Amino acid sequence: MLLPFFQWIESLGFSASIDPSGYVTAAVNVMHLLALTVFVGALLVVDLRLLGRGMKQQPLAEVARDAQPWLIGGFLAMLSTGVPQILATPIKEYYSPHFWLKMEVILVALIFTFTVRRMIAQAGEGRVAPVWRKLVALVSIGMWTTVATAGRLIGLMS
Amino acid sequence: MTLLSWFEWVDAFPTSIAIRESIYGYPYLLTAHAVSMALFAGLIVMMDLRLLGFAYRRTPLSQVQQRLFPWQMSTMVLASLTGLVLLYGQPMRYYGKAFFWIKMALMVAAGVNALAFHRTTYRSVAAWDSDAVAPLGARVAGAFSLVLWAGVVAFGRLTAYNWFTYQ
Repeated sequence: MLLPFFQWIESLGFSASIDPSGYVTAAVNVMHLLALTVFVGALLVVDLRLLGRGMKQQPLAEVARDAQPWLIGGFLAMLSTGVPQILATPIKEYYSPHFWLKMEVILVALIFTFTVRRMIAQAGEGRVAPVWRKLVALVSIGMWTTVATAGRLIGLMS
Repeated sequence: MTLLSWFEWVDAFPTSIAIRESIYGYPYLLTAHAVSMALFAGLIVMMDLRLLGFAYRRTPLSQVQQRLFPWQMSTMVLASLTGLVLLYGQPMRYYGKAFFWIKMALMVAAGVNALAFHRTTYRSVAAWDSDAVAPLGARVAGAFSLVLWAGVVAFGRLTAYNWFTYQ
């Protein structure tokens, strides 16, 4: 169903026309990884705190609020370096099962992170049983690790 | 023995050849390495941002340092182990790569930077622990750490390309 769309992107000749050497593609990929480290760091600090580890002497809501701009900023940087990579190799992405797994999990993980996880992190710690916080943290780590894993595999096994 | 002969020696091990010739060995090892590296570098970056006074300013610096340290170490062990197995499987491939050696040098520099900070500025942490902006020495250490580890991530990724590969 989406194949014509991806073929249309391919027909624009995005990568071949502007980056015959491959240097720009590599630079964008490196920036995507650097954005990933910021995002993952902001994610882990809060997930560890939800697990009752990490910076546990600070209030959970405070840690979550301090991490939030880096989480959102890291995600936006990943998005802006990720979309050009799809534009550069649309047919490769279309036929990669890892690409579709990554997109599906990103969608679910985004919704989860900015609804359930956000509410649990900002609720007073007395109002939610610790087991729910731990569950949220494990789901968060599991989903975003899946995104990273699938993302790396797009380039390795197509 | 030269470094090259060490690499050639490992290269001939049957287990090294087995990893090299396995279809899924390289993609899965590299993926595990990249993901564990992201976890490790992410936790390092968060501490660097606190050192620079950009993030977690309400949290005492020693708490960020001490509370994240065990997780930084455990994820570093994961990244190191997967990295060593990758190297073990293809020693001759990495031996000829300039980017690989630059990455190694940057890691050493990042380690020296962390050690130097702990031996100097961090000794007086009690006096400025809760300051939103740490002393110059701490900010410099945070900036160096950020740049050096970004370099490690960048050159690690670039090692996968064949640019600046010799012999």
